[in-house]
Amino acid sequence: MPVLEARDIVKTVGVGRAERRILDGVSLDVEAGEVVAVLGRSGSGKSTLLHLLGGLDHPEAGQILLAGQDITRQRPRALAKTRLRHVGFVFQAFHLIEELSGEENVLLPARLPGALRGGEQRARRLIGELGLSEIAGRRPHELSGGEQQRLAIARAMVNDPEVVLADEPTGNLDQENGATVVALLRNLRRRAVVIVTHEPEAAAIADRVLHLHDGRLAGRPRELA
Amino acid sequence: MRVRRRRSLLTGLGIALAAAMLMAALVVSDSLGFGFDRAAKAAHLPDIIVRFNPEASSRVEQRITALPDIAAYSLRQEVTSVSLQTADQFAGNGDVEVVGAGPHGYAIVAGRDLSSRPGELVVEKGLADAWGLKVGGTLDVNGLGPQRIVGLSESPDNVSYPLAVPRVYVSAAALDARFGAQPNPQVNLAEIWLRDPRNLNEVLAQARATSYGLQGLRFVTRAGVRVLLDQAAGIVIDLLVALSLIALATAGVMLAASARAEVQRRLRAIGVRRAVGASRGHLALVQALEALFVAAPAATLGAIGGVLATYGPTTRLLVLLNEPAPGSALAPALILTWLAAVAIPVLAAAWPAWRAAGRPPVALLRGAELGRSRGSSGPDRPSWLHAPRAGLTTLGVRLAAARRTRLVATAATLGFSTAFVLLMLALASALNSLETDPGALGKRYQLTANLPPSAVKHVETIPGVQAAAPRYETEAVDSFSLGETIDVIAYPGDHTIFEAPPLVSGRRLRGEHEAEVGLGLSQALGLTPGATLAIQLDSGVELRLRVAGVVSSLQDDGRVAYVPAGALLAADPSAADEELLAVRLRPGANASAVSAALGPSAASASTAIGRGVPLVSVLRSILRAVAIVDGLVCLYALIQACALTVQERRRTVSVLRAFGAGGSAVRRLLTGAVVALVVPAAILGVALERLVLGPALSRLAASYVTLSLGASGVEIAVVVAGLVLAGAVAVVWVARQATRESVIAGMGGS
Repeated sequence: MPVLEARDIVKTVGVGRAERRILDGVSLDVEAGEVVAVLGRSGSGKSTLLHLLGGLDHPEAGQILLAGQDITRQRPRALAKTRLRHVGFVFQAFHLIEELSGEENVLLPARLPGALRGGEQRARRLIGELGLSEIAGRRPHELSGGEQQRLAIARAMVNDPEVVLADEPTGNLDQENGATVVALLRNLRRRAVVIVTHEPEAAAIADRVLHLHDGRLAGRPRELA
Repeated sequence: MRVRRRRSLLTGLGIALAAAMLMAALVVSDSLGFGFDRAAKAAHLPDIIVRFNPEASSRVEQRITALPDIAAYSLRQEVTSVSLQTADQFAGNGDVEVVGAGPHGYAIVAGRDLSSRPGELVVEKGLADAWGLKVGGTLDVNGLGPQRIVGLSESPDNVSYPLAVPRVYVSAAALDARFGAQPNPQVNLAEIWLRDPRNLNEVLAQARATSYGLQGLRFVTRAGVRVLLDQAAGIVIDLLVALSLIALATAGVMLAASARAEVQRRLRAIGVRRAVGASRGHLALVQALEALFVAAPAATLGAIGGVLATYGPTTRLLVLLNEPAPGSALAPALILTWLAAVAIPVLAAAWPAWRAAGRPPVALLRGAELGRSRGSSGPDRPSWLHAPRAGLTTLGVRLAAARRTRLVATAATLGFSTAFVLLMLALASALNSLETDPGALGKRYQLTANLPPSAVKHVETIPGVQAAAPRYETEAVDSFSLGETIDVIAYPGDHTIFEAPPLVSGRRLRGEHEAEVGLGLSQALGLTPGATLAIQLDSGVELRLRVAGVVSSLQDDGRVAYVPAGALLAADPSAADEELLAVRLRPGANASAVSAALGPSAASASTAIGRGVPLVSVLRSILRAVAIVDGLVCLYALIQACALTVQERRRTVSVLRAFGAGGSAVRRLLTGAVVALVVPAAILGVALERLVLGPALSRLAASYVTLSLGASGVEIAVVVAGLVLAGAVAVVWVARQATRESVIAGMGGS
C-alpha cells in the first residue's frame, strides 16, 4: 500500500498575466522503501510538487494522502502534527540553525511538542550510522557542505518518518559529497523517499524516475506502470 | 510597501512613541525649566522682596535709598486675612496688596493694570481660574465693597491660589481718591530692583546692617523664590528628561536593528542593483526615502500626541506656580525635536544600506549575513544551555543572545524603563504618605484639640488616648541671619513621645539649654551638634541653645528647631497664646470616637503637604501619564525585539515549522527570546531603582530629609508581573504573525 498518494494535483503560481498552471493534474504513488526521483528543468514545478507532498502548501485541486491521511483537508495545526510524525525534509541549502551544534540541529525536530519519545537515542544512533560522531559538536559554519547535508539528513530522520522529501539535496555539493549524500538517501530503510533534482546522477539511484514537464509527470504512477 | 505594511506599522509605532515621549519631555521640561525665567521677565520680578512689620513709608524709603546700586523700588501694604467673595465663592484669608508708585512686580496676562481710578482690582490668574472670574466682572473685597476686575496678573514671587492664599491688587492712588490721601501711609513690603543683580549679596548685607528700627524683617531674593518653586517642579523635569532619553535610546536601538534586519532581507536586491551599476549613495538614499515615508507621518502623529497629552496638565501646573504657558516660545524646540524624531530613523535605515552596499555584489547576491553571528560556540556555551529538556525555550534564549549588542541594549532599555516605573510608583506612594500620613513628618500624635494645658489630665482619661501634652509652635528668625526663618516647636518633657523625626547626628535634647535642629536649618546655618542656635522670637528676646542633635524633618523644609517648652515660654510667653493639645492614640484606637470625645476643636494632625494638595494632584497626573507611556515603551520594546528575532530568524522559524512545529512551539521559542530580555531587565530595573535612582531622586527632591523612594515588595511584584505580562503579549502577538506566514516564503527569505 502506498505511503504517499497524490491524485490530480493542480497548482497555479503568479497572478494576472504572469499566472501559470505549474502542476496540471499530477498523480503519484510512493511505496514504503521506494526511492522516486522527479526530474525537471528549473521552474518546472519540482519544488512546488515536493512542498505540496509535504503539506507545506495547498493545491487548488486534487488530493494527497500521507500515511493514510488526506492532508489537503487538514487544518494548519493538524498538518503540522502530520509533518512532525510522518515527514522529514532535506533542503538544498541545508537550513541548519547557526546557533546550534550539529547534534543539537539533529535533535531539534525531536524536541518539538508532540514528537515521538526516544529522540535522543535515535539522534545518537543516526549520528553514529552516518559517520558524524566526530563533527557532531561543531557548529554549521565549521563544517563542509557535505557534512552539513549529512547532518540535515539525520535531522530529517530523527522522528522516524515514513516519508523523506529531498529538494535538490546535492545542489550545493561537489561531486564526491553529492555521491555520498545520494548513497545515504538510497539506503534509508523502509522509508519512502522522493528526491526532486535536475541532476541525472542523483536520479540514478532511484527505483523510478519521473519527468515533470509542462505541469505533468511524464512517467506513470506505479500501479499503472 | 504594501507587502511590508505590518513591519512598517510596527516601525512607525516605535517612531510615534519615541516622538511622543520626546515632545512630552520637551513640553514639560521647557515649560517648567524656563517657566520661572519667563514669568520673572514678564513680571519684572524684583531682585529683593522685603517684608517687615507695618512702618511709615517715609522711614522705609529713607532706609532703601541709603542702599547702594538701587535701580528702582516700590512700597506696598500687604493686608492679610481679608474676606473676598463673589456670588458663589468666599475666602476669609484673602491677601490684598495695596500697590504704590513704581513697578508692580507682576505681569498682566489679561485686561490692563490698575489706574488711579477707584473701584479697580487686579486679580491673580490662579484665583480667577479657580473662581471663574473674568475681566469686567466684580469681586467683593471686605472694606472696599464690590470692585471691578480690570486685569488678571501672574507673579512668580509666590505660588498661586489654591496653593497659597487668594491674592488681589488695588492701587494706593485709588484708595487715596476714595478715602482721602494719607500724608505718610503705613507699608509692610518693599520690592527692590538692582542696577546689577551680581551685587545682590553686598546689597543684602548692607540692608541687614541698615535695617535698624524695622521689625520682623524677612528678605526673599529672586534666587530664593526660584529654589522654592524648583523644589516642586524639579522632580518632574528630571524624571521626564531621563525618561525621554530612555525613549530615544529605545527608539534608536530598535530602529537601527529593524533597519539592519530589513537590509539583510534585501541583500539580494541590493546586490542586483549594485551589479547593474547603482551607486552606494543611491542605494542608501532609496533606503532613507523609504524610512522617511514611514518616519515623517509617524513622528508627526507622535509629536501631536505628546504635546496634547502634556500641554494641558503642564499649563495647569504653571498657573499654580504663577508662571505663563510657553506658547509660541516652544515652537523652535518642537520643530527641532520633530526633525530629530524623523532624522534618527532615516539615518538608522540609510547607514546599514550604505554599509551593505559596500560589500562585493557577489556576496550580496548570495544573501550572506550582514555580519556573522558571534553567538556562543560549542565549548564556551554555559552548561545550562545543554540541558536535554531545555529545547525550544533555550533555543529562543540563544537566538536572542546571538545578537549580543542588541540584547544588552534592549535589556538595558527595558531595565531603565522598569526602574522608572518602579520609581514613579515609589514616588506616588511617598506623595500619598506625605499627603495623608502625619508620621511622614515624624509626628507620633494623630489628633490635636484647642484645649488648655490644664485639660491634659482629662484628655488622658479618654479611652484610646495614650498620651496628651500642650504643643507650642512659633516662628522665629536666626539672630545672625535675619532672613532665615525657623519654625520653633516645644513640648513640656520628652518631645519624642509626640514628635520624633529620625536623628541624623548627635543625640536627643536633654535639659533646658539644648535644642534639636532640622537638617534644613543645619544646612542653612551650618549648625552641627555642639554649635549654638541663636534665635530671635517675636517678643524681641533672643534665645540661645546648644545644638544637641540634628533631625531629618520634612516640616518647613527642615527649617525647624525642637526646644524645651520652659525655655521657649520664658523667652516668649505669647507662644502659649494658641492653646493646642497634641493627642497620641493607643494602637488600634478609634480616632473618630476620641475626636468626638475631645469636642468640636479636635482635628487630625497636619501632614507634610497641607495646602499643596492641588499641586500634588497635578504632579500625580503627570507621573501617571509618564508611567503609562513608559509602560508602552516597555511593551513596544518587547514586541519589537520579538518581531526582530522572528524577522531575522524567519528561515529558522520556517524550518521548525516545516518539521512540524505549531503555534505552541513558536511561542516557546519566542518565550526564550523574551526571557533573555526580561530576566536581566527585571534584575537591572529593581537594582537600579533601589540602589541608584531612588536615593538620587530622594536627594534631589529634598536634601534636608531622607525620603523613602525605594520601591516596596508589592510594587516590585506588580511591575515584574507587568513586565511578564507585556512579554506574554509580545510572544502571543508575534507568534501569531509568524505562523500566519507561508512556510515556503519564510524558507526563501524573500
